[in-house]
Amino acid sequence: MDIRVLRPSDIPNVQTANITNLPENYFCKYYLYHAMSWPQLSYVAVDVSRPPKTPYDPPKIVGYVLAKMEEEPADGVQHGHITSLSVMRTHRRLGLAEKLMRQSQRAMAETYGANYVSLHVRVSNAAAKHLYSDTLGFTIEKTEPKYYADGEDAFSMRMDLSDLRLKMQDSDDEDEEGSVGQDEGGEVGSAGKKGEGAEAEKKAKKRKVKMGRGLGVGELVERNEIQKA
Amino acid sequence: MPQPLPSKENSLFKQVVKNYEAKQYKKGLKSAEQILRKVPNHGDTQAMKALILNAQGNSTEAFELAKVALKNDVKSHVCWHVYGLLYRTAKNYEEAIKAYKFALKLDPDSAQISRDLAQLQVQMRDYPGFVQTRMAILKSRPHVRQNWTAMAVAHHLNGEFEAAERILTTYEDTLKSPPPKSDIEHSEAILYKNTIIAESGNIEKALSHLEAVMKNSLDRTAVMEMRARYLLLLDRKEEAQKAYRALLDRNNEYRAYYEGLEKAMGLDRTDDDSIPKLAELYESYAAKSEKVDAARRVPLDFLQGESFKTAADRYLRSMLKRGIPSTFANVKALYRDPAKRTIIEELVNGYASEQLTNGSAENHEGDRSSNKFDEAVLYFLAQHYNYHLSRDLSKALDFIDKALEMNPKAVEYGMTKARIWKHYGNPAKASEIMDEARTWDERDRAINSKCAKYQLRNNENENALKTMSKFTKNETVKEALGDLHDLQCMWYLTEDGEAYLRQGKFGLALKRFHAIYDIFDIWQEDQFDFHSFSLRKGQIRAYVDMIRWEDHLREHPYYSRAAIFAVKAYIMLHDKPHLAHESLTNGFTDMDSMDANERKKAMKKAKREQEKQEKAEAERKEAEKKAATKKPATGADGELKKEDKDPQGTKLARTKEPLQDAGKFLSFLLEFSPKNIEAQNVGFEVFTRKNKHLLALKCLLAASSIDSENPTLHEQTVRFRRTLDTLSEPLPPPVAKVIDSTFTLIPTSTSLSDYNDSFISKHSKSAPHVQAGLKVRQLLDSSSLPQNEKELLATLDFDTIELQDAKNGLSLLGEWKSGSEAREAYINAARKRWPEATVFADA
Repeated sequence: MDIRVLRPSDIPNVQTANITNLPENYFCKYYLYHAMSWPQLSYVAVDVSRPPKTPYDPPKIVGYVLAKMEEEPADGVQHGHITSLSVMRTHRRLGLAEKLMRQSQRAMAETYGANYVSLHVRVSNAAAKHLYSDTLGFTIEKTEPKYYADGEDAFSMRMDLSDLRLKMQDSDDEDEEGSVGQDEGGEVGSAGKKGEGAEAEKKAKKRKVKMGRGLGVGELVERNEIQKA
Repeated sequence: MPQPLPSKENSLFKQVVKNYEAKQYKKGLKSAEQILRKVPNHGDTQAMKALILNAQGNSTEAFELAKVALKNDVKSHVCWHVYGLLYRTAKNYEEAIKAYKFALKLDPDSAQISRDLAQLQVQMRDYPGFVQTRMAILKSRPHVRQNWTAMAVAHHLNGEFEAAERILTTYEDTLKSPPPKSDIEHSEAILYKNTIIAESGNIEKALSHLEAVMKNSLDRTAVMEMRARYLLLLDRKEEAQKAYRALLDRNNEYRAYYEGLEKAMGLDRTDDDSIPKLAELYESYAAKSEKVDAARRVPLDFLQGESFKTAADRYLRSMLKRGIPSTFANVKALYRDPAKRTIIEELVNGYASEQLTNGSAENHEGDRSSNKFDEAVLYFLAQHYNYHLSRDLSKALDFIDKALEMNPKAVEYGMTKARIWKHYGNPAKASEIMDEARTWDERDRAINSKCAKYQLRNNENENALKTMSKFTKNETVKEALGDLHDLQCMWYLTEDGEAYLRQGKFGLALKRFHAIYDIFDIWQEDQFDFHSFSLRKGQIRAYVDMIRWEDHLREHPYYSRAAIFAVKAYIMLHDKPHLAHESLTNGFTDMDSMDANERKKAMKKAKREQEKQEKAEAERKEAEKKAATKKPATGADGELKKEDKDPQGTKLARTKEPLQDAGKFLSFLLEFSPKNIEAQNVGFEVFTRKNKHLLALKCLLAASSIDSENPTLHEQTVRFRRTLDTLSEPLPPPVAKVIDSTFTLIPTSTSLSDYNDSFISKHSKSAPHVQAGLKVRQLLDSSSLPQNEKELLATLDFDTIELQDAKNGLSLLGEWKSGSEAREAYINAARKRWPEATVFADA
């Protein structure tokens, strides 16, 4: 499975992966909003081994992470947020969720200077919680009662990204010496904790943001902020 | 000229504009009406009122009023601008552009109108017009960076690379001091310029530009990827190698990086000498990380024979030992190579027999992990024998049952078991098992979705919706189904439509296919807001990517699949209009066996019934309307929901012009998926029925260039020749000339029956080809029926025949109106070969 940055043409299949696996779903335009605002942050896992049947076969998306920067952070600190993450049931236990998360997190730090990344997870979703806290190093910030539409509570989790920012500065210094080839950016995979990899398939995320299709994107963002406030 | 207003009314007018912008429609309307009481023919006010009415959903009234406004004040830019805005909301972009242009003539300095016009032009891909409008905007507001960037985008999309680059450079040169490194807009504009240079073909220049600016670029991944690509294109292999290694250090799960590195190292997978070096390369990456999969999996693609076996053994053991359920999904692509398929089969069967002889292959690691290994092996083998290239369903069933014994409520195992029954041709049992597996984890939407899909495959539309509703928001007016439409759940709508079509419910089937069509319209429309949004955000590379994706949006299989089914449905309705009337297809009336007169009578009767029903329905609705409050229904998103006047699709199915309606789906299909042979196949069927011989021929030629031996193409080619030979009046000479010179698929000297016989003998072991040949023979000579039936029966013994082919054969007997003897013989033979398949068991 390839791990690479999400392209606009992936969106229909990312949308399908989302609505097949998770209860929180979005219009195509909401994915576009992510891809057009922070194109560096969302990643997909792609099964590249299938021979195409027609020249029009889209990439087979088996997992994705949809991520953003908080536009007006309440705490005034630049930080990223995971809107949605999911890996197909048929492709679990390959560590895809972890690999997707690590790429997205690094891009948050590199491109947008994010200090930390936050997310929400259903309190009942043990597999996802295991990935976030044990494998990736997230901590629980607080519990948000009745966060989800069906009344379930959410853990609000976050992870500090200053390590990544430090590494970035290191490699910037190396750049000064004129060698990009020496970049030692956080290696995906082995950098994580040992033991059982990501056991995470159904990471539940943010509740559905309701938006009228006719709304301009500007208004769409606004509403999103209001909802969170 | 705008008519002047008295000062009180003038300030009221300003209020109306403010109210409109703040969406205070009621207030705005009130003020507008107040002005109009004083100055009844004030065009601008009428225009604003129209705009508000339109926003409230009264578009007909709005258009009428906007026209009156224009009559009263044809020289007002406000009236024209509003007229354009109304067209814009009605999605009639061409008319909107015209109106904006009028408005702009009257008020050339209006930034708002120019921006609106530019947006429409790029939406419509009128790039020369877009360039012109952006130029005017840039000239009037050159101090805004966005206007420079937008100008560059316009040139770029219009294919003017140099102009685009020059515009960006001109702006950069005006910057007195470099913006701070954190300025994402600046960083992106620079990278955008770099992609333009590269696209213009000057890679050398792109590289030196990139190296000059990369230090300040915030999108490090993109920079590194671009640099590596340029170095490789320029054949600077040493540096390219380093660049790809640097990328792999950041992301070792991206095959494009490995492939870049291979090329930079001069390695070639098809060259035997390269193989050991390749193996060594991947070995080194595997050694770097415990978790990397690509470095371990990729070598299985290029290794052969013994070295493949060793590597595969190591890979499979390590995956299975960890009990990874996706192991099969990860290796099944190798099955295209029969030798590799056999090796994998032997290896994993070996693990299974190790279990039997040793108790467990990995017993030294203790019971728990060995159980995990044993179970993973069983699951792997079940999937292996269920896969179409290595299928042996009874073995598959045996293995999955053993796995289920070890772990009775493993959802995956249940899913695989259901899939085995699907392949047996028993959708009812498959659906039943999937539903059971669903109950093992009711909180998991993935298994829930699968269950709904299997219910649809078994034509259980209602059950499927019930299943889906466990995870949908059911508060919208239309409940679960409405939610699935709103959230654009393509797979469900498609499967639902196909299930209805299988049941002959043409209305509902078409309803779903039209829903897919409409969602593609929405997706196309979705880009609209980003024409301005992306300029504000400054993420121009992403924006251009989106534009290019949208340009061929409808090539997506979500579109072509639904469109092909829709066209097929319309063709059936054209051939047998009675299919639109369920009362005539419910099994009591056999339209096919009636004579023309009887058929006419039955149709008349059905239509009378339909009219009666419709009248009653209309009366009921009227009564409901009166009873209900006047408040319009709104959906979950607060959006106005129009009432669906034809929820069952009855009107769609009872169309008077099915071929015309098919054209709506067909034109996008042929425009965006010309290399899809099925698209060409259905295209021919539509055009030949409309006597559009040239278009029909175009489909034949296109199909022939994709696969000249395609069975449907063969049959259609013969039919086309026959049509030409039996025309009631000769074709116009120019048409005849084109056909004569281009229709060479059948040599004129060959008789059709000879041509057909040679096709059959050329493909004598392929069921679909033989079926097509027999179909043609029956067409050419109806007395050949007994022979055709006999040869059709013989296809059931072919090695490669699949269940679907056998089903198609059965329908062929139906088309031929074969007698019960031939039918029974066929069904008996098919039942022997597919004993579990419902279609033959019930027949």
